[in-house]
Amino acid sequence: MTLNVCSAAVRADGLSRRYGSTLALDEVDLTLERGITGLLGPNGAGKTTLLSILATVSEPDAGRVSAFGLDPRDGAERVEIRRRLGYLPQELGYYRHFTVAGFLDYVAILKEITDRRRRAEEVARVLAAVGLERRARTRIRALSGGLRQRLGIAQALLGQPDLLILDEPTAGLDPEQRLRFRELLSGLPGDPVIVLSTHQADDIAAICPKVVVLLQGRVRFAGTPAELAATATARVWAGDQRNAGAHLSWRGGDNRWRHIGDQPPPGAEPVTPTVEDGYLLLSQAASEQ
Amino acid sequence: MTSSFPGPAGADGHVGKDLLAGYAAGTVGPVVVWSVETHVTGCAQCRSAMSEHVDGERLARNRSVLLARAALPEGGPVRRLLCRCGVPDHLLSLLAATPSLRRSWLLSVLGVLTVVAGEAAAVAHGWIGNGGHASPARYLGPHAGPAGYLHPEALVPFLVVAPLLVLAGVAAAFVPMFDPASRLAVAAPFHGFTLLLVRSVSALAAALVPVVAAAFVVPWPGWLPVALLLPSLALCAFALATATVLGPRAAAIAAGALWALPALLLAEADVPLVIVQRDAQFSCAAVLCVCAVLLFLRRDRFDWGWMR
Repeated sequence: MTLNVCSAAVRADGLSRRYGSTLALDEVDLTLERGITGLLGPNGAGKTTLLSILATVSEPDAGRVSAFGLDPRDGAERVEIRRRLGYLPQELGYYRHFTVAGFLDYVAILKEITDRRRRAEEVARVLAAVGLERRARTRIRALSGGLRQRLGIAQALLGQPDLLILDEPTAGLDPEQRLRFRELLSGLPGDPVIVLSTHQADDIAAICPKVVVLLQGRVRFAGTPAELAATATARVWAGDQRNAGAHLSWRGGDNRWRHIGDQPPPGAEPVTPTVEDGYLLLSQAASEQ
Repeated sequence: MTSSFPGPAGADGHVGKDLLAGYAAGTVGPVVVWSVETHVTGCAQCRSAMSEHVDGERLARNRSVLLARAALPEGGPVRRLLCRCGVPDHLLSLLAATPSLRRSWLLSVLGVLTVVAGEAAAVAHGWIGNGGHASPARYLGPHAGPAGYLHPEALVPFLVVAPLLVLAGVAAAFVPMFDPASRLAVAAPFHGFTLLLVRSVSALAAALVPVVAAAFVVPWPGWLPVALLLPSLALCAFALATATVLGPRAAAIAAGALWALPALLLAEADVPLVIVQRDAQFSCAAVLCVCAVLLFLRRDRFDWGWMR
């Protein structure tokens, strides 16, 4: 399943990856164009494996990847991809004794920004972007989880990457920080290719023009958030009572029950589905296969 | 206090608008800059007028850069010395992430060396017994040396541990489990093999210095410090080369076993010094050469990373 073949900046064809007996990726085809693409899926769906392959950190067992026409299997082209890459791994470790500025300085050097003055400019730029200017001298061990996540996002922005791969960037961020993160991504210059994985369907709906749903190592949906929501049309209802026959049924903040299922519960009326509804139905269908 | 402006001033003795704009934009010459600054320092009216010409955004950005630059790590006297010797500043910054170059690690190395070398020295000086072993002449023959040299079996802990300390320092520099941000290094364009060499060579040097120094302290004939160099280098080269085949952790363990097992077996056979004597030195030289070639040929494995 592809998003847009014509303007694809990043392309994956038939990617498979196995860990022992577990098939993490099963012939994944994907094309990403400039702009933000959200990768949605439950734990163990293969999101992190897919992103690490796109980030040239690990190799697929089968299939191939290209980014900006470059093939990571070739050493020189792999380095060229990395020069244009910003990567936030899911579980980024930190040197706890480093200061915030020191850590960013270290990553800037890894990104081949060797001139001290330019490094300072880049560090200042990304610190301002994530709102950590006043923490430049703070040791990482003294940062909260949310601040560390912002530091992780900051290091990914060093060098103004053309391809930004963010593995669960909003994990650990409070609501205000999540909004600021959305603002930050929306305002990045140069229209980079951004792919972010998340469990938060509202993040996808808010900032991603495109969404890919990965379930059990396979791409189950690729399209716009509106199209994902539309897959649940006429399958979401609101009522005053719980419906035991629904796939999912929960009471919302308005004290009414929201049902997702194939049959309308008695006395319930259809409601406009959300991205989350579409995702839940896809997930339900995949688990029944 | 307000002073009359000596340069191309406005009619009222203050700095003219064009000049202020030129000063703010950085387009005027140094003499005019000094003149403007001298005047503006004492003239509230011109300071106020100046603010209209200043690009606030640019000023804030410059301030952020200055603050960030001030926050970048400067390092201690060793780093400054190395910088003066021509080592690039950014390479020294990379070393800050090497665990075996941290003070706590180096102090631990010194602590271990103090224990094993101290034990040997204590036996040599008769402060503690040698466990009823035979006299040194049995092992050393003409190398027994003057009175006061220790029994060789007392040297076993030092012989076993010293090269392993060097190996541990190098292993900590390249095994990903010691590097919490290793994924960032893998995904970065900085050449992985260069990073590996920079870290490993620095860790090697940092560990070899105290090991060799301790070997001088141990009461034994003078060739021991030199005899430890080749085995230490060979072990580290073996670990790095086999890491391209076995993976880094298994390679470090294999290298440790490659030294510890024969050293202990030879000690058990009452010939502990054979591990650093001539034949062993030739073996170490051969291992070092083969591993160096293998490491060079397989250096690309460090470029892809350890994630497979």
